[in-house]
Amino acid sequence: MSTRPIRTAALSLAAAALLAVPVAANGYREKGKVVTIAGSTLSVAPPRDWNLLSIRPGKKAETWTLDGERLNEITWYAGIAPDEPLIRETSRKHKPLPRLKQSTLIAEIPELLEATYRTERSVADFELTSAKPDPFLGQPGIRFTYAYVDNDHLPRRGEARAALIGGRLYLATFDAPRQYFFDRSLADFRALTDAATLS
Amino acid sequence: MKRLAKGAAGLCALLAIAAAPPKPGAAPPPPPYAGVYQPQGVDEIGFWREADEDERALANAPEVIRDEALNAYVRGVLCSTVGKDRCAATRIYLLRTPVFNASMTPNGTMRVFSGLLLRVRNEAELGAILGHEFGHFELRHSLAKFKARRTGSDLLSWAAVFASMSPGYQTRSNFNDLQWSVYGNLYRYDRNTEREADLLGLGYLNAGTLRPQAAASVWRNVMAEGEASSRARGLSKPRFDQLAFTASHPPSAERALTLAALADPGGEARDDGAARYAMALAPWLPMFLDDQIKLNDFGASDFLIAELAKNGWTAPLWLARGELYRARGNPRDLVIAAEFYTNATTADPELADAYRGLGLSLLKTRRPSEGRVALRRYLILKPDAKDAGMIAMLAPADPREP
Repeated sequence: MSTRPIRTAALSLAAAALLAVPVAANGYREKGKVVTIAGSTLSVAPPRDWNLLSIRPGKKAETWTLDGERLNEITWYAGIAPDEPLIRETSRKHKPLPRLKQSTLIAEIPELLEATYRTERSVADFELTSAKPDPFLGQPGIRFTYAYVDNDHLPRRGEARAALIGGRLYLATFDAPRQYFFDRSLADFRALTDAATLS
Repeated sequence: MKRLAKGAAGLCALLAIAAAPPKPGAAPPPPPYAGVYQPQGVDEIGFWREADEDERALANAPEVIRDEALNAYVRGVLCSTVGKDRCAATRIYLLRTPVFNASMTPNGTMRVFSGLLLRVRNEAELGAILGHEFGHFELRHSLAKFKARRTGSDLLSWAAVFASMSPGYQTRSNFNDLQWSVYGNLYRYDRNTEREADLLGLGYLNAGTLRPQAAASVWRNVMAEGEASSRARGLSKPRFDQLAFTASHPPSAERALTLAALADPGGEARDDGAARYAMALAPWLPMFLDDQIKLNDFGASDFLIAELAKNGWTAPLWLARGELYRARGNPRDLVIAAEFYTNATTADPELADAYRGLGLSLLKTRRPSEGRVALRRYLILKPDAKDAGMIAMLAPADPREP
């Protein structure tokens, strides 16, 4: 057997190491400056400074955080259309995610989020803790809360607001560890989502 | 040297037993249990220390099911499979994780996943899996695996560092090739130890009180489920290497045949404990089923529900099937889901969640007034439901109703 392919592989690895480039930087969302979310018609003037992560969970989604996404994570899902999953699928063939349907009711949005979390993160312990009607983006919508044990074994809590507008789903979620972090930033999430508007 | 001699003597004993099996072809009874073992050598001591550390974290993990009755039951099945002296040293942790898996670490920690409890149908099948894992433990396979993995993963982790720093596609594909060859070696190694654990596992079952033929039926079911899952996803064949348990425990027709041959034919008439198993699992079934159907794996979930329904359809099974079809949500699924929910409410008129699903399905299939009646029934049966506010929004109270 020739050692040539192995040598080529080793050389290209070494060359790649020398050519290493820094990864793209995360964004900054300054207080009071209007920004659009994921290139949609959804926009917000944040009541305080936020960080935008450069890694996006999906084409129509954005992640904002204060201290890092494992500590406080706001995810915007802006205008998910029927037959689209909430986030990017790791493998469409082997691990398909649940999709929004034309017939999906607003009361089924918590189930959609739950199934997405369970499938993508392989978590079993996910519980809806409340769900009630509450306007979002000036339209009839819902506000729901949930608790789950994430795949890092840390119990987390979440609050979300959703509205189906013109057949598209607008959803904002806030996820944080149950202890300390959730309560600390919940008011920030509420103020931020109250400031969001759809043009 | 002394250990070597002892090992050789043990091997001779094993071979002697193997040479004179109770029935031709059947697995020999297990050798006498060696008793408490202490780790030897730097690798094994380090490995035990890691396992101890993991167990400390596991003891506080939120996903551990702490129910006393269920824990005692699973322990009982292990004890009746491997014998009292062997099972005394084992700590069993039941984990609420909807995957088919069980594992055992060298310090005697056994992890049993809720997905396994949902899939086996009787005590004999559960015993076959637990006995197999115990066989790995008794033969100290994980130490050998650890040594192989350590060498393999050193290489992999360095390669990963280089590949992650590189911008090119070519480098990443080189890295992937390397990764597959290293993993391939690990799994090939595992398959040899599988055979040894199968032999010992069947030895326990043959010597125990449960029906040893169940070992083969577990694998047949796993394969059938994998095929059902792939069919529903439009794939030509199942990827067993992507499932937690089957990646290192490859299922195959050949394996099922081998296990069937190793089972003592004299044990065919023994009890498999299906009734006891169903009774012990009944309080947990709705939760485990719910965890499974929300995984968005239609084929596998439908197969599992049909398997569970072989002993008769119950209200929780109809409810689960309705939820599964409503989640897939094609128009035809919604009509069928409404039918399943109706069956559930016929079997148990107090099952609130079935009325919820029924109401939502009817709303979506243009039968809104019937749907609202069902949703109001849900709210009456479960006035303190977590989603009561949201459901009430869809089904405002009708003044004409009593």
